[in-house]
Amino acid sequence: MKVAVAGKGGSGKSTVSGALARFLARRGHEVIAIDADPNPNLGISLGLPPGSVETMRPILNALLDSGHTHDDPTPPADELLSRYGVEAPDGVTLVATGKIERPSSACLCCGSHNTTRQFFGELPADDRVVVADLEAGLNDLIWAHPGPQDVVLAVTEGSAKSVEVARRACRLAEELGVSRIIAVANRMLSEADVEVVAGALGVEEVVGVPEDPAVEHADNLGLAPIDVDPGSPALAALDQLAQRLVAAT
Amino acid sequence: MRWLAVERQATTYLRHLASWAQTRVLRDRLSTIAGHRTALEAHGTRAGVELEAFDEEVRRRAVADLGVRVAIMGKGGAGKTMICATLARQLARRGRKVLAVDLDTNPGLSMSLGVGPSAPGLGPEALEEHAGASYGWRLAEGLTALEAVERHSTVGPDGVRFLAVGKICSVDKTEAKRSVPAMTEVLLGFGAPDVDVVVDLEAGLTTPFERYHSFADTVVVVVGPAWKSALTARRLLPMVGERDTIVVANRVGDEPHHPGLAPRVRVPFDPCVVHAEREGRAPMDACPTSPATRAVDTLGDVLLTKEETA
Repeated sequence: MKVAVAGKGGSGKSTVSGALARFLARRGHEVIAIDADPNPNLGISLGLPPGSVETMRPILNALLDSGHTHDDPTPPADELLSRYGVEAPDGVTLVATGKIERPSSACLCCGSHNTTRQFFGELPADDRVVVADLEAGLNDLIWAHPGPQDVVLAVTEGSAKSVEVARRACRLAEELGVSRIIAVANRMLSEADVEVVAGALGVEEVVGVPEDPAVEHADNLGLAPIDVDPGSPALAALDQLAQRLVAAT
Repeated sequence: MRWLAVERQATTYLRHLASWAQTRVLRDRLSTIAGHRTALEAHGTRAGVELEAFDEEVRRRAVADLGVRVAIMGKGGAGKTMICATLARQLARRGRKVLAVDLDTNPGLSMSLGVGPSAPGLGPEALEEHAGASYGWRLAEGLTALEAVERHSTVGPDGVRFLAVGKICSVDKTEAKRSVPAMTEVLLGFGAPDVDVVVDLEAGLTTPFERYHSFADTVVVVVGPAWKSALTARRLLPMVGERDTIVVANRVGDEPHHPGLAPRVRVPFDPCVVHAEREGRAPMDACPTSPATRAVDTLGDVLLTKEETA
């Protein structure tokens, strides 16, 4: 199963992706977490120390370092995974697609989007779960190009701007033929808020995640919420989301 | 003020040229670039000489009236759009002419500014296909930056002019992006000396990579309380190049500021603004005198004072 996680910046994509990956791994699944943001920080939400998040080499950067050019054939996705994957807590494998490091280094940016598309598209996922944390906004969802077999999580918090981006993400996912679109209403203050988001997004599956000081606290410290308080209300909701994802398959 | 504008325009173009000259793409056109550089330097020098001739008091007042050029960056969710919209309206309430530009292909600034969702933006009639342009489109030949702003912007609350790029609403990879290079042309070429230009950029590191902030004299980096927000700010700062940078800490409580990111302006956590954002209302309409919107007004002070002492 492949899951693409999309939404506005700050909606909680990485928090959701990180917790989901860890919970699924704890439940015995093989989990590959893809950080598709050219400003990568999924490693933080997965519980890796900041130092190793800054030193890990994303696929595209590592290929370019080794003299790879546009005209060279890209190695198969599984080969890339074994070369550039990093082990995160609970046995999750983290791999980043590309990182922007300076203002004008060739065409890294469209390159990182391209790498995301190719890697997300080709990585075999028959007996494992691939969770891709996309770049903020809608652009990366188009690049990742999830298909009918894939799942899209549209993450939003309560602000009107965030809901609007998630609504558009749902429509794009429909346009791409994605059959399972789950809205994740994050940082909700009440059940009524979840209903409002559900109404605005117009998808059948909606999961509410409550506002949770434990998550905010972990976020401010640069730690994975699951390592700070795995039983807090938001994390309990994300564990349920993890179960729900795999239960249907 | 005209000579101030000429001087600034020359400096902006030179800065842009210098950053382009570092790219692989343009190495073969270095001689053309050298030609442009010489011409621009001549303009700059001429402007400098003219400015010298003015009385110091006249010059000081002209500098104070000169519009600011501000790019707002940061991690997604840090509060870029809220700061941008509120800054634009606060500057306008001081009686200044303000152009607020949304350079993000995701929706947002129109809501925080209070101009309504249907503002048209830089539409197809302002663009033309061009093989050499990124995404294959550029500003239509013969359309100047000033004309583009006059024809395609809308006037919002407090008289703020608003201009946006296209928004992503289909799976076509480039459709919404078409207007982005054109908008950067508009921003670089917008010479109106007395208009403040504040621009909301897309989240993350893509925008400095693409040099979308080339037009700006000042870059405002917005950082929220989250550790990852600080990480993004630390990655952004070395990428914005030689220009003034102002760190604005947003949604702060009583926690210490992030190490190495001393904020010039602290915008407090403000329930009224949170509420306005939930409802999709402009903070300046919902809470014009609450702590956060007043703090953003002090960012205006910082920007304008800097101009006077420049």
